[in-house]
Amino acid sequence: MPHVIDGREMVPPEPLEATLAALDGMSDDDELLLLLYCRPHPLFNILRGEGYVWSEELQADGTREVRIRKA
Amino acid sequence: MIRNDAGVHPNLSFDQAPPFGVPLRFLLTAPWFGVAAGLLLAWSGKSAVATRWSADALAVTHLLVAGYLLQAMSGALFQFVPVAAGGNVWRPRLVAAIVHPLFIVAAIVLAAGFLSFDGRLLRLAAGLFAPAVLILVSIVGMALLCTPARGATVMTLRLAVGGLAVTVALGVVLAEGLAGSHGWPLIAMTNVHAAWGLGGWALMLVLGVSYFVVPMFQLTPPYPASFARWASIALVGVLVVWTLQLSGAPPDWLPLVWLAGFAVAGAYAGLTLSLQQRRRRRVTDPTFLFFRGAMACLFVAFVSAGLMLLWPDLGQDPRAAWWLGVLVIAGGFVSLVNGMAYKIVPFLCWLHLQRLAGIGGIVPNMREMLTERAQKNQLRLHFVAVALLLAATFYPKAVVPGGVVFAVASAWLGWNLIGAARRYRVFKGRGFARVASQGS
Repeated sequence: MPHVIDGREMVPPEPLEATLAALDGMSDDDELLLLLYCRPHPLFNILRGEGYVWSEELQADGTREVRIRKA
Repeated sequence: MIRNDAGVHPNLSFDQAPPFGVPLRFLLTAPWFGVAAGLLLAWSGKSAVATRWSADALAVTHLLVAGYLLQAMSGALFQFVPVAAGGNVWRPRLVAAIVHPLFIVAAIVLAAGFLSFDGRLLRLAAGLFAPAVLILVSIVGMALLCTPARGATVMTLRLAVGGLAVTVALGVVLAEGLAGSHGWPLIAMTNVHAAWGLGGWALMLVLGVSYFVVPMFQLTPPYPASFARWASIALVGVLVVWTLQLSGAPPDWLPLVWLAGFAVAGAYAGLTLSLQQRRRRRVTDPTFLFFRGAMACLFVAFVSAGLMLLWPDLGQDPRAAWWLGVLVIAGGFVSLVNGMAYKIVPFLCWLHLQRLAGIGGIVPNMREMLTERAQKNQLRLHFVAVALLLAATFYPKAVVPGGVVFAVASAWLGWNLIGAARRYRVFKGRGFARVASQGS
């Protein structure tokens, strides 16, 4: 069961702040699911430098599901 | 399934974001032109209100549009084109290092030229603006032409950059005309120059940026695709027809073209207000409030223009230009720039610190970078200034307190932005210390 952050009703950069805070408290096996209406490029840039991997899936309602975990 | 994303949409990548100092230098400079404009207004008193052709009015107007707005909008372009439009701006640090000081000196010389009515200074200002804008338009325009991104924002930004080029080209010709080099129709040319500057450059840029930032930052529904597609085309059409007055005697229907330009601004403002009413979350941060105030001003400008067309006595009153100018420039564009600066500068400060600190690093959040209270207090003062300047249409003495309050509000914005940048520098030092200690 991944940690879930629903950032769809958050004002940028609240989803980014919440995601980074959640990642800081996660163990290496945990997964974080982030829900957004846009692609979080600043987050990707940080994840890339911190050794995380992620996948994206666009839902029919425009929600972008971003699953993040340690590489 | 899991991958390090190289970009499903490589055209929209934060990797191309310019160095922090590039947008920052423009955004930190812009408000101080507002201070100069406000103080000049207070010093000049009624003469700026009486006619748009007074030396004071021309100097104040250009301190705002060629100083304040050009600085802020150029800085926003450097940030926005790579990040939101996927455009790869060539050597942004070098280009900004050339363009930024040239714009500062050119705007000051231009204002001095108007105040002294010295043709040599006007010619010098034109000689400074021309290469700076040529560089900016070429580099940013090339980035926008080469980006694989598509859509209304990219198309509108391309048109805006073209609008800036036309504006400055006309400005250079006007400067030559005022210096006495030719006998061209200067009043018609001034009208066309102003329309391209306020419509083809400023409004066009605001349209393109709004399509992206209003839904994202204010959680509104997106602008209707039909509006996003046609508003910029309609605006260009209006400007092209408006420009035809340079080819001969102005036709009788020219005022309708003038109104059509305001109608595009009015439609944008009305639509944005409507979208804000339907936002998904009732956030009322300072940027939202600046946008709302700006949209109200642009919409009132459109209604005023309509009334001026219906009652020509109103439109022919010399104070009509002051009323519309305050609504569009101080109330509309300056408010928008003010609101966007409060979104861009703290965000960039926070983001760059976060990158340095990494996950788990302790950096101040956005609200600690620049408190909402400081932003809202400055917002109130800004709109008090706009109200006083509008009141000066009917009570010209109000231009003195209006100018002073506008100067103080601009200085306050400048101080707030410098405060955010200072906090960035303080915490950046701490961030490096933390990284160093981890590595040892």
